[in-house]
Amino acid sequence: MTNHEEWVRQIDAELDGELTLAERAALARHLASCGACSGARASHLELRVALARSAGEPQAVAVPRPRIRGRTVALWILVGVLGGIAAGWLGHARWGGPGSLEETRAEFVVR
Amino acid sequence: MRSSWFASVAAAPLIFASTIAAQAPGARIAYTVRLLERTAGDARLAAVGTIRGPQDTDLRLTLGSDTSEVDVLLEVFPEPDTVNLTASFYTRRVAGRSRRGLPLWEVDSYHRETRAAWGATVRLYPYGPRHDALWLEISVRRDSVGGETRPDEAVDVRDSTIRLGLDAVMRPRRALVRLTLVRGDTVSAPQMLDLVPDAPGRRVTFVLGRHDSRAVDVSLARPDPPLTGRDSALAPDADVVCLRVIDAAQGSARVRCGRLNNVARRLPLAGGDTLLATFAWPAAR
Repeated sequence: MTNHEEWVRQIDAELDGELTLAERAALARHLASCGACSGARASHLELRVALARSAGEPQAVAVPRPRIRGRTVALWILVGVLGGIAAGWLGHARWGGPGSLEETRAEFVVR
Repeated sequence: MRSSWFASVAAAPLIFASTIAAQAPGARIAYTVRLLERTAGDARLAAVGTIRGPQDTDLRLTLGSDTSEVDVLLEVFPEPDTVNLTASFYTRRVAGRSRRGLPLWEVDSYHRETRAAWGATVRLYPYGPRHDALWLEISVRRDSVGGETRPDEAVDVRDSTIRLGLDAVMRPRRALVRLTLVRGDTVSAPQMLDLVPDAPGRRVTFVLGRHDSRAVDVSLARPDPPLTGRDSALAPDADVVCLRVIDAAQGSARVRCGRLNNVARRLPLAGGDTLLATFAWPAAR
């Protein structure tokens, strides 16, 4: 069972309650490592819930999928840190820090 | 040996000329200070002041804001065609806040000097040339106005957010002291004395009514030297003199210090008498 379509059929069978315990265990191991199959399973589940609600079963609900994944959070943290470093560098280049002591001392200019 | 002899001969006229210039009786030095600030590209006059005084008059300049204070003592070393300006700076800047919210000040002191022609305008950037939004224009010229011994000061500050102070710093060589003795309801005739600081004292006799009189020995002295190097350099008490009074009969000494500003000062003497002393700049010679 190496084909992706085979796993999608297994997902349907699992949602129908037709898999044995060993098959469900194998499918669970695969879903843990395959993002596409776990997404497909969530889509199938939501489709079934929608069909059930349209058929008059208001109690049918599906657990919402997480909107933000860990990888996305890490990406945004990285973007934030890099943006902060860049802003600090630009700010220092534009306005500077306190400067050296000699730069703050008075100076005569003969005109 | 020959070069040393030649250098001495060459330097003698220069030294003689500068000495003559410094001691010229009618010469008077004038500092004109203009404080300008740049707003929206235009230079705006924030304050202007003029200090005049005898040739050895120095200028004490104080510039302050909420975050910084600059105190400068500007000294002039005249030459026949140019003037050397030497400035001693004492600055304080707010460097941050302590953990309890109190301001932390950064203190700095240094010297600057420059050379310019008489009457030329010298720009001074008090916060460094990078901070060119505020600067001072100083010109020094020599007037031939005779005899005046006291300096005079005039400052016109047009921007109230800026603190600018200009003071003439000159140690008096003489002082006019007006003395009056008061005993109860009786007041003696005033005695006008032209005293030289640190010179030997003089005996003064006050006549009170028809039969009473009192003699005291008076002398003038400089105040004690300042305790800090900053006060020593900026000389805030340059025009302060101290009157030392010794009762001729009892030998007890009393001292009263004051500025040459025509303000009467009381000096209680032994026996309940009071000596009123007023210090002033001597008249023009």
